Amino acid sequence: MLISVRRFVLPGLLATSLLTSLSASAAPYPMQLQNCGYTVSLKQPPASVVTIGQAGTEMLYALGLGDKVVGTSLWFNAVLPPFKAINDKVPRLADNDPSFESVIGKRPALVVSQFEWMVGKDGVVGTREQFHDLGIATYAMPSDCEGKNNLKGADGTRTSAYDVQALYKSITQLAQLFDVQPQGERLVKDLRERQAKAVAKVKAAQQPQLTAALWFSSADLAIDPYMAGKNGVAGYMLQTLGLRNIVDSSEEWPTVGWETIAKANPSILVIARMDRRRFPADDYQKKLDFLKTDPVTQHMDAVKNNRIVIVDADALQGSIRVVDGMEQISDAVLKLAQPAGR
Amino acid sequence: MSAAPVAAASALRKPLHWALLGLGAALALLLSVALGIAIGETALSPSLVLQVLANKLFGANYAIDPISQGIVWNYRLPRALVAASCGAGLAVAGVILQSMLRNALAEPYLLGISAGASTGAVLVSVVGIGAGAISMTVGAFFGALCAFALVALLAHAAGSGGLRNGGQIVLAGIAGSQLFNALTSLIITKSGSAEQARGIMFWLLGSLSGVRWPDTVLTACIAITGLLLCLLHTRALDAFTFGSESAAALGVPVRRVQLVLLLVAALMTAVMVSIVGAIGFVGLVIPHAARMLVGVRHRRLVPASAMMGAIFLIAADVLSRTLIRGQVLPIGVITALVGAPVFACILLRSQRRQR
Repeated sequence: MLISVRRFVLPGLLATSLLTSLSASAAPYPMQLQNCGYTVSLKQPPASVVTIGQAGTEMLYALGLGDKVVGTSLWFNAVLPPFKAINDKVPRLADNDPSFESVIGKRPALVVSQFEWMVGKDGVVGTREQFHDLGIATYAMPSDCEGKNNLKGADGTRTSAYDVQALYKSITQLAQLFDVQPQGERLVKDLRERQAKAVAKVKAAQQPQLTAALWFSSADLAIDPYMAGKNGVAGYMLQTLGLRNIVDSSEEWPTVGWETIAKANPSILVIARMDRRRFPADDYQKKLDFLKTDPVTQHMDAVKNNRIVIVDADALQGSIRVVDGMEQISDAVLKLAQPAGR
Repeated sequence: MSAAPVAAASALRKPLHWALLGLGAALALLLSVALGIAIGETALSPSLVLQVLANKLFGANYAIDPISQGIVWNYRLPRALVAASCGAGLAVAGVILQSMLRNALAEPYLLGISAGASTGAVLVSVVGIGAGAISMTVGAFFGALCAFALVALLAHAAGSGGLRNGGQIVLAGIAGSQLFNALTSLIITKSGSAEQARGIMFWLLGSLSGVRWPDTVLTACIAITGLLLCLLHTRALDAFTFGSESAAALGVPVRRVQLVLLLVAALMTAVMVSIVGAIGFVGLVIPHAARMLVGVRHRRLVPASAMMGAIFLIAADVLSRTLIRGQVLPIGVITALVGAPVFACILLRSQRRQR
């Protein structure tokens, strides 16, 4: 009996422990990971991280890594309600881009940036080399660098259309960097399911030939607005939901004249809500007022029939909120399918 | 044939000559406005444009969809009219400054007024001065006035006659321009957002895309008032061309006229730049081109400059909308890109004629 335990159970236990150690070593340290043309090198899971951009911040919160975040910056909206408690404990280095020294002052092991131009070749905060020289690893969101040339066009130009796979990739890779793969898988699965539901909802509404346009903001109220290009994140959301974006530019956020938008007369207008106040049009209420009072836009079908969807600006970036935005738009399409007011 | 009969004949023909020239200019202006309305991002047929105008101006009842009607009546027509007013205003401001300062290089853009306006606009938009109560337009207006005051003070402090010394004020203007451009860059760099920098750049280089009817009324009133005031002072402007001492000798109340005309130039520029952004080159090129066409007497030069400035800026706006498909260029880029070679051509041709 004893012998059989030794002969069969022990090797079994050994094998199991070997297996667990193997799966844990799926993220072996030192770890190297390719990211936006750079190599992310880590000797151990990062003990602290500074984020530039709300998207990365909330992604880390969603992965349960809130206690590792020692500084945040570049916010478009208020933090998602479930993360408010953890976010309140994290210092906000800047509402927009932080200075290089304020970032390194937090002594982070890793810097996660939402936009490449913050840490890229002409990094506004600093170049990735500058961080690497100080032994700080950097990670830029694939959403903003893969299939995108950030040296061309004002906000970069997509060389190929955005795909939500880039978002999943950033979640998976961040989970890998912090060695929390199961959380990453769970988050991706959840987002996938919710997106599929939103798409199915629009399909079920059976509205043929729906068109849309998405207004982010404008340098001045009546001036040519910043609209979502066809290949950006917002363009992806519209297209995946089966809506045709009336803007045909490959730029991320091209300026398009109101004349062109009004003439294309999209079925649905999506407008961004944000907390920053750089331009008057950052206030979504001012956008609504403009649309309803401008002598031309007030005649657009979407304005007349109140088919205006208000979406958080952060949902239009490569963030986990992309799905929130798609859900909001799909709800609006569903409402459109129902006879109005009856 | 002796010279006398020829001179007599040309003197007889002169009033007719000028009347024809005026009529031609008026027709050219009308044609430019028509082109400004007809050409845009979206294609609208000429007949539709005519129908809209008939509906709005003569109460005709053509059935037109409200969006097309709005594009013609609320977007494009005000845009063409504002372009005309700004072009005229900036050109007349150029005429005033060139005559008063006796400097061929004097123009609002070079004297730092436009740079000041940009700084004012950026201060409101980026730093948030005025906390939403004042618009970029108001900020630009005060920025322009501040810049002009500063440049005038600097030139005055530099001594040897201050405003009367054209060279001094142009140098002061260059210093002022540099200062205000640096301030603008500082503010933009500090804000550090690509989107914002782009919004401001568009503003700095001029744009007519946000222009509506209220802007039309304002700019037209300012341009017409400025033009009339300038026309009232054409004799003085002629006199100033020979210096303020000569003007005083000719009985011109130098101080008063200087104050009125410089204020007119500063106000016109401030208002125009605050509505459409910093458009350079108009105030420099147009007066020179007009001088080549109608001579140096301000009785003709002032209206000719106004007319040519108006046509030039409408044309520049049309070009800005059509040069690159699907993209609107800042109008300041066009005024410089088109204006500079055209100016060079005029310059070379006049040189050749003189030879």
